[in-house]
Amino acid sequence: MDRRARDLVDSFLNVALDRDEMARLRALQIRDRGFGYDLFGAEKQSLSLGYFFLRWLYLYYFRVESTGHEHIPTGGRCILASNHSGVVPIDAAMIGIDIVRKLEPPRLMRAVVDNFAAAVPFVGLFLQRCGQVIGTRRNFEELLAADEMVGVFPEGAKGTGKPFSHRYQLLRFNVGFIELAIEHKAPIVPVAVTGAEEQAPMLLNLKPIARAIGFPYFPVTPTFPLLGPLGMMPYPAKYYIDYGEPFLFHEEYSAKALEDPHRLRILAGRVRKRIQGMLHKRVKERPGIYF
Amino acid sequence: MPKSGKQNVLIAGATSVIGRQVAEQLYYDDRNVGHIMAVGRESQKPYYFDEYDTSRFSYHSLNILKPRELTNLFLSERFRDSCINVFLHLAFIHRNDAPPPERHELNVDGTRALLTKCTETTGIRKFIFLSSWDVYRLKPHNPVLLDERADLNFDQRANPWIKERVDADMQCRAVMDHPRLQVVVLRPTGIIGRNVRHSMNEYLSSRICPAVAGFNPMVNLIHTFDVIRAIRCAIHRPVKGVFNVVGQEAAPLSEFIRLAGRVRLELPEPGVRSLNALQRRMGLTQWDFSVHPGRIKFSCQLDGKKAEDVLGYHPTHHVKF
Repeated sequence: MDRRARDLVDSFLNVALDRDEMARLRALQIRDRGFGYDLFGAEKQSLSLGYFFLRWLYLYYFRVESTGHEHIPTGGRCILASNHSGVVPIDAAMIGIDIVRKLEPPRLMRAVVDNFAAAVPFVGLFLQRCGQVIGTRRNFEELLAADEMVGVFPEGAKGTGKPFSHRYQLLRFNVGFIELAIEHKAPIVPVAVTGAEEQAPMLLNLKPIARAIGFPYFPVTPTFPLLGPLGMMPYPAKYYIDYGEPFLFHEEYSAKALEDPHRLRILAGRVRKRIQGMLHKRVKERPGIYF
Repeated sequence: MPKSGKQNVLIAGATSVIGRQVAEQLYYDDRNVGHIMAVGRESQKPYYFDEYDTSRFSYHSLNILKPRELTNLFLSERFRDSCINVFLHLAFIHRNDAPPPERHELNVDGTRALLTKCTETTGIRKFIFLSSWDVYRLKPHNPVLLDERADLNFDQRANPWIKERVDADMQCRAVMDHPRLQVVVLRPTGIIGRNVRHSMNEYLSSRICPAVAGFNPMVNLIHTFDVIRAIRCAIHRPVKGVFNVVGQEAAPLSEFIRLAGRVRLELPEPGVRSLNALQRRMGLTQWDFSVHPGRIKFSCQLDGKKAEDVLGYHPTHHVKF
């Protein structure tokens, strides 16, 4: 955006958002390299606009409730490891907005996104401007080195492509985030998102179509592709986001652990087990799926 | 007889924009450079070299594809007396300057011939090749910074010009372990400067810059003067290897278009292709979208840390249009 567009956005948001929200957005830091963008292409005004549009979903559509913010580091590098579900990965956006709204002081979560997103016009650009990054090791390392908060979804894209019959059964976790957490001495905060599984129950995955269009999956839900693109609109499931006590693997293990793939797998399994436990508890306790 | 302890540099491609500026800076501003031999395709010494003192500077016309001419140059009295110990290869032909078969011969076979000659000539201690960021494979999911170990573009479907770039770069890397010759490959990011015949400069010189709708890649650009700084660092430092060379600025491409005072026109990719073809046919631009379609879609920021740490290179110039 040029200066005029940024001023316009700021003026608009000053009117559209309340003072507290504006103060929280202003408190978010990006390392401006001189043109108003950071190394990854994040821009304050773009992510504020993204917040403005997505907060409606957060407040009124998914009516997000969250607990455990005391476990999230308020500064320094850290990794938020979450389950991933719901076909359309809005859960990441909801976590990001939750942290801006509820954490004191607010922080920007830099979620790692799947490779294919970068090739999708407008979508990839929007994600980039909102501070989200492609999930390469180098990107991860750059973020941790800059003491950023990184959001990861160790189930990968397969997590969002789970069939509805396997809801809330976590897939095997990748170990990359464990390696990086130990190497860069970052705490891992387990995050359990409940509700996303029911926002787009996937009945079938048409893999040939997915392969043909370069997507990780092609879902068939009760409304998609029956209702066309409108059918991908997520259902208004109530979201719960729970943050658990952080894992401090970098204090328990030295860099030598990085040479032991079996150990890394066990550690990833510990994070998975914790999140699975948090999910089971929440699913049991919640009064309903959509209310 | 040149003074000892100084670098004596042969510049192949001295008549290019960058070559001329390198020669000028080495001649006027560098006390640690003794003799300069400028080599170019022009049969007569260009006018801009007329003021240089012939005891320190000489110009030679050379066709690098003619082995006898190359041998004669290296065996010449002037070459011997100059004690040339650094060979700077800037003689990479622009894609529009020759038909593809001839261009390939000059760029790839020519590079090989120069490398071979330098490895055979015991006095030459260093070979510096100015490569390009075009050698890197641009994927939508590249990491934010591409370091020197990033994937090169070995795609068979790549434009022949890109393949020549990669081939020449690889030829230099193939002799990187030579016991005597220090081979330095410099890979600058998009070069911006007056009359510089670089794709990004050509793109930003067009009045209308077509952009693929939905994409706005992060790029870091470099001014010509900083490229020359990097070359001078490579001449003087006793190092070898591959180095990314970056400038101070990194921003979305749209910011550079705005800085250049150009109009950014977003179109679907087929529209960009058509518009660019029309622009070229009308002589409105030299930039060719089809050479590297990913360049205006996918981010490409080079990691210049190695050049900072090892070459001692730090960018000082802002990109100016």
